[in-house]
Amino acid sequence: MLLQLNNIFKWVQQGGQRIFLLKDINLEVEEGEFISIMGPSGSGKSTLLNVIGMLDTFDEGEYDFLSESVHTLKEKYRSNLYKEYIGFVFQSYHLLDELTVEENLEMPLLYKKVKGSERKALVADMLDRFNIVGKKDLFPTQLSGGQQQLVGVARALIGKPKLILADEPTGNLNSQQSEEIMQLFQKLNKEDGVTIIQVTHSEKNAEYGSRIINLLDGRQI
Amino acid sequence: MFKNYLKIAWRNLWKNKGYTFINVGGLALGMAVTLIIGLWIHDELSYNNYFSKKDKIAQIFQSQTFNGEIGTGPAIPIPLERALRDGYGDNFKYLTMASWSQPQYLEYKETSISRTGNFIQEKAPEMLDLNILKGEKDGLREINSIMLAESVAKALFGDEEAVGKVIKVNSQYDMVVSAVYEDIPTNNSFNDAHFFMPWEKYLTTQDWLKYAIDNWGNNSFQMFVQIVDNATMEKVSTTIKDVKKNAEEDGEEFNPQLFLLPMKDWYLRSNFENGKQVGGRIKNVWLFGIIGAFVLLLACINFMNLSTARSEKRGKEVGIRKSIGSQRGQLIYQFLSESFLVVLVAFFLAVIIVLASINGFNDLSRKEISFPWDSGVFWLVSFLFVLFTSLLAGSYPALYLSSFKPVDVLKGTFKVGKYAGLPRKILVVVQFTVSVAFIIGTVIVMQQINYAKNRPIGYDKEGLVQIPTMSQDFSGKYELMRTEFLNSGAVTEMSASSSPTTEIWSNRNGYTWEGKPEGFQEDLAWTEVTPEYAKSLGLKIIKGRDFSREMATDSNAILINETAMKYMGLTNPIGKLVKDSSEENPDPPMKIIGVVEDMIAQSPYEPVKQGWYIYDKNGNSSYYNLRLNPNQSASQNIAIIENVFKEHFPDIPFQYDFVDQQYGKKFASEERIGTLSSIFTALAILISCLGLFGLTSFVAEQRKKEIGVRKVLGASIFNVWNMLSKDFLKLVIISCFIAVPIAYFIMNGWLQEYPYRVILKWWIFALAMVGAMLVTILTVSFQAIKAAKANPVKSLRTE
Repeated sequence: MLLQLNNIFKWVQQGGQRIFLLKDINLEVEEGEFISIMGPSGSGKSTLLNVIGMLDTFDEGEYDFLSESVHTLKEKYRSNLYKEYIGFVFQSYHLLDELTVEENLEMPLLYKKVKGSERKALVADMLDRFNIVGKKDLFPTQLSGGQQQLVGVARALIGKPKLILADEPTGNLNSQQSEEIMQLFQKLNKEDGVTIIQVTHSEKNAEYGSRIINLLDGRQI
Repeated sequence: MFKNYLKIAWRNLWKNKGYTFINVGGLALGMAVTLIIGLWIHDELSYNNYFSKKDKIAQIFQSQTFNGEIGTGPAIPIPLERALRDGYGDNFKYLTMASWSQPQYLEYKETSISRTGNFIQEKAPEMLDLNILKGEKDGLREINSIMLAESVAKALFGDEEAVGKVIKVNSQYDMVVSAVYEDIPTNNSFNDAHFFMPWEKYLTTQDWLKYAIDNWGNNSFQMFVQIVDNATMEKVSTTIKDVKKNAEEDGEEFNPQLFLLPMKDWYLRSNFENGKQVGGRIKNVWLFGIIGAFVLLLACINFMNLSTARSEKRGKEVGIRKSIGSQRGQLIYQFLSESFLVVLVAFFLAVIIVLASINGFNDLSRKEISFPWDSGVFWLVSFLFVLFTSLLAGSYPALYLSSFKPVDVLKGTFKVGKYAGLPRKILVVVQFTVSVAFIIGTVIVMQQINYAKNRPIGYDKEGLVQIPTMSQDFSGKYELMRTEFLNSGAVTEMSASSSPTTEIWSNRNGYTWEGKPEGFQEDLAWTEVTPEYAKSLGLKIIKGRDFSREMATDSNAILINETAMKYMGLTNPIGKLVKDSSEENPDPPMKIIGVVEDMIAQSPYEPVKQGWYIYDKNGNSSYYNLRLNPNQSASQNIAIIENVFKEHFPDIPFQYDFVDQQYGKKFASEERIGTLSSIFTALAILISCLGLFGLTSFVAEQRKKEIGVRKVLGASIFNVWNMLSKDFLKLVIISCFIAVPIAYFIMNGWLQEYPYRVILKWWIFALAMVGAMLVTILTVSFQAIKAAKANPVKSLRTE
């Protein structure tokens, strides 16, 4: 078992009223799964993803990741946990504009304190694997959206995470680019055994996954 | 990792050149000011470091009470030496009498120069640990020996060997050069001691000195001591406190209290008020130290404000880094290293600025500060300074930026909250409070200087020249010279006096007059003058008459000034007699024949001292006062005077001063403060405005969309400009209201030191406020108008 959510609640206080963002979420994810979270705008998809990614907190319930109980961990351990096992892919790529492709890929390794020579090798591997060796000295703004997202995925993968969290990874891409990214996800899932959880609006993208979770107003349906 | 940080920092700086320019430029200016002030403070504090025994060397000071008021000074009488040597010798390692530093003519073959120097006792060179370059350390053993500073030896002998040569001093006596010592550097006491001659020789040079040897009442000398190693200044001071009081016959009368003023206090803490040490130059050290700190703070505030203003841009980076696994501590470290980089670049720029401006600064501050390239301590302190500045400037932005939640920033919903700008606003208020206070302070200093400069001085200082005549060569020559000068056509009137017009050299007491209150202890300025003194100076006689050569009795006449008339309690002083109160004095009483208008001879900031002008029948003149012929140019007049002078005194270098210039020197120290503080104020305002300029451009960019929408809805350029400027103007107005009371309080305190001072007017404050607001509007308007003129279609399309 990779992770388990038990009775997760998250709310905000507004005008003396509790507005629930997540309501009694229960979820078990096994290693090697490819899960799509779906639902209309404001249903809590991204919030759930961020809770799983430990970027966001919750107000009630229990969350175990690799049999560590996340809700009791301090920030430092939490960040150690997710930088070790989780990679993020964002809708708007979120690459650092001031760094080149190569440097963007290298950054997670710096935070994991990987040694210089090993870092070089890993980055070179990744550039090779994603066919972007020729673009390694370019800055993100010099790339197309699809290429940027490719770098985004490569950056998420470089730390060899067990879990990839993707928040509408194809939201800013055209259909052909979308398909390429989804095929890439599928390949990673099938061949490398990486667990993937993605948030998506598109039925077509959701079909790449093995399981679909539907949310409405913060509730599983 | 660090490399990665620097890379990002560098690219960020490069990408936002305008912002970088403001940030680095402002910081560099602020750091340059702090550096220069730091060097200046170091120079001030290291005064007298040349003397290896400076912790043990002291000068004997004396406090005396006149009419309940305590006066303190270094002047002591000769018999004190014996009393201290005989009764308290075990407290002192060295003890030496000294004359005041006075100019003397030194002559060797054809060369004749005038240099200042002291007569001093044999052990003084050892106490001062002079660096003897040639000759012997105890070079004052023989009564006819003289020790010369290297520069003097060079001026007299060129490259010839100096030791053993005979020079003539004041065309009077021959002295043998016994040693040459390294010149004492300028930032030390004794820096005007270009030669030393034996004290014993001094006592033979003038008649009056013979009578001073046993006279406890003649406080015309100074004494320096080095206390023994196991003694403290305080202890020795207590021990010798009453030595003079007990030795003197009427010691009780003025209650003389002796004490040691340690060498470290000579320069910085030599002011006394009613017997208490009240600081001195150390106040300026504090003043400029505070100014330096504030200017640096202003520059740091720019950094903080511009960094946090850009937070929406940097926020995304924070979010990404956090989602990739960065901890907050690492981000703080990253932002701090970024500010370190900026501060380091600024520091090197600041060093360049300092190097470029140090000569100008030296001229202004009358210093000889050089850049301490080779001082390890300087670089260490500089490194700490850079570290400190980057912490000061960088910690707030680092804490603020690193606190962002990744979820918020990455979703794109991140907006700086309503109150996020509050710290920034407070910082702007701090900046302008300091700037406005600086403006007010500078204006008041300038006003005070002008006020004192425009004070009626009592005589006509323009076209008046004085020539020193202290050498024996001049004695008995006055009448001859007067005739010669008058005949030359360059001089319309001339007189001689025992002190220069811009100083009082002698004070006396012990006189009686009709109607003198019982027990009144008078203290009178004493100037001996020739009959045409008032005429040559243009002094007005307001009661009675001037001296007259026709009246033989005038040789026992005196003029008094207006203040003296009131001081002595006389309503009709003409014809009153004043008499030396001691029985044995054979001098006949003197008759007051006239009252002259007060003339400022001492500080232009203080009331004129009560003074007597005594008919000089003994030829005690120290200066000739020449009224130049107004129908010729000053240079023509001076050339003629020099010819006449050379004719009669071929061996004496021709020296002269314009009295108005001498008088102007009284303002030098205040003018220096005025000039320096106006420069620092200008820089403070410049730095603050740079920051404001940067801030406006960010606000304009942040509100680009809002401005676009407003314009589409019909807002005019003026509306938009008004909207953007108003916010900043409000802050500056708040600053004004904080700055005004603070500046009033501080400047009022500063003015208290000057009895003759300008009255603080409300319009000074109003002026400073209006000035600050104008500068603000100008600074803000540039960006505001640019934003207001932008095409709204463009700014709205970006979404």
